[in-house]
Amino acid sequence: MKMFGKLAGGLYLVLLYLFVAGPLLFVIATSFNPATSFPARFEGLTLSWYAAILQRPEFLSAAGTSALVAALASTVAVLVAFLAAYALSRRSGGAGGRGAMATLLASPLLVPQVVISLAILQLASAWGVGTGFWGLVAAHAVYVMPFALRLILTGLARFDFAVEEASRSLGGGWLATWREVTLPLLRPSLVAGFTFCFILSFVNLPLSLFLTGPDTATLPIVMFAYIESRIDPMIAAVASLIVLAAGTATILLDRFLHVRLVD
Amino acid sequence: MSAARTLDWLLLLPSLLLLALLMGLPLAAMLATSLQPNVLLSFTGPALDNYSYLLSRGYYLQVIWRTLRMAGETTLFAIPLGYLAAMLLRNLSGRAGNLAIMGLTFPILAGPLTVVLGWMALLADGGPFLGPLVEAGLISPPRLLGSEAGVVISLVQFVLPFTVLTLYTGLRQIQPQMHEAAQSLGASGTARFLHVTLPLSLPSVLSATIITFSLAASSFISPHYLGGAGQLTLTTLVSQFIMATFNAELAAAAAGLLLLLMLASVVVITAVIGRFVRP
Repeated sequence: MKMFGKLAGGLYLVLLYLFVAGPLLFVIATSFNPATSFPARFEGLTLSWYAAILQRPEFLSAAGTSALVAALASTVAVLVAFLAAYALSRRSGGAGGRGAMATLLASPLLVPQVVISLAILQLASAWGVGTGFWGLVAAHAVYVMPFALRLILTGLARFDFAVEEASRSLGGGWLATWREVTLPLLRPSLVAGFTFCFILSFVNLPLSLFLTGPDTATLPIVMFAYIESRIDPMIAAVASLIVLAAGTATILLDRFLHVRLVD
Repeated sequence: MSAARTLDWLLLLPSLLLLALLMGLPLAAMLATSLQPNVLLSFTGPALDNYSYLLSRGYYLQVIWRTLRMAGETTLFAIPLGYLAAMLLRNLSGRAGNLAIMGLTFPILAGPLTVVLGWMALLADGGPFLGPLVEAGLISPPRLLGSEAGVVISLVQFVLPFTVLTLYTGLRQIQPQMHEAAQSLGASGTARFLHVTLPLSLPSVLSATIITFSLAASSFISPHYLGGAGQLTLTTLVSQFIMATFNAELAAAAAGLLLLLMLASVVVITAVIGRFVRP
């Protein structure tokens, strides 16, 4: 009976993971299929769809834009999230209600991303300016900040603030203490925070929906426009490359920094 | 002590400013826009005419109701499915547990756009999954693309990792001693679940329900690609107002309604599930 329960449990998990990861696995498989339609029967293996991406400069330049937006937004997010997380974790009391403050700072997660995009567009038009590149960075920064906060708070929960006192009692100023003691010890969660924010920003479509122009199109926006007109395995190849990059980052973080989104 | 407090506030200042300038201020501008007259409705603003317009047309009421219904259906599927998965995952440890969690974060990091591409093929009547079944005459073409069922299937898949991870974190926090105590007092497996695990996990069920419902109600990609024009939700309606009919004011009002409805849903969910949470 117990054996049966274990088997049923295992089977359930396998089916659930197939359901959750199935669409992704299918996209990856399609990217190697030489058939020109989508979806199509599998006719063999080819790498030609990956080569086809190189013929489309708009995908490459959009990937560059996305990387720049993601890098800037994640840098801002990790910086402010680190300062906030530090204040919330200090033993010296912290400012006001700790839980309430953490909830407030996580609030962008509950605002639909399409709404964030629209709101920034309408603030810019109320001021009579275009949103441009910085509107894009703003939307991405405010959205990814809570993810950085959560990861850094987790890191700080394991941080012993007594080491700071030790450093200061040995004559280290607060700046030296931060540079030599606090930041190195927190590096894993800072790096992880940056990486997760970067990926989440890089793959995000709705945040950019109303904020991109011809010069500032992000990769998901270019994919979005491409899919509106046609779907072929080339777009699956683009998606597979994104999946590959995201997967590699997840594995590297887990291997070398032992950091995950959930503990 | 007060110097420490000042420092804390100074450290919190950048994040609070970020929130105020990049979210608070834009949302205020959006709500201000939603009170203004436009190409479709002339009135002397600021007034609530855009909202009463959206709330008085059957078409838009259907969109609102569909948004809430799809989010509700998604939550009703995702919470039990996710709870069972979190219960099973809780027993895994070490390498297997690690891999299982990574497997769940993976679709989140790959992004919903890449995932939805897969659904567009898998849900197609002639697709690799349904095609052979249809051809063999086992099922009639289910026409999932463009249907509510298709959108809900992909929404459940999209939210499940978040649901499972939230429930898993909550279940892991229940101390094993609780089970041992219940066991030593002679409680059966079912009784242990009903009287120990379930009540103790309710706070995480509450947060998982809020997260799941909010994610489903604010999703754009699934309803856009799998629902299309026949299955508009508030998010896709907002994008239609901006990109097709160029009505910024009605877009703002639709977005304002979505925010309001999500807030109301969180209140209702908290009230309903909160009644069962023991203080």
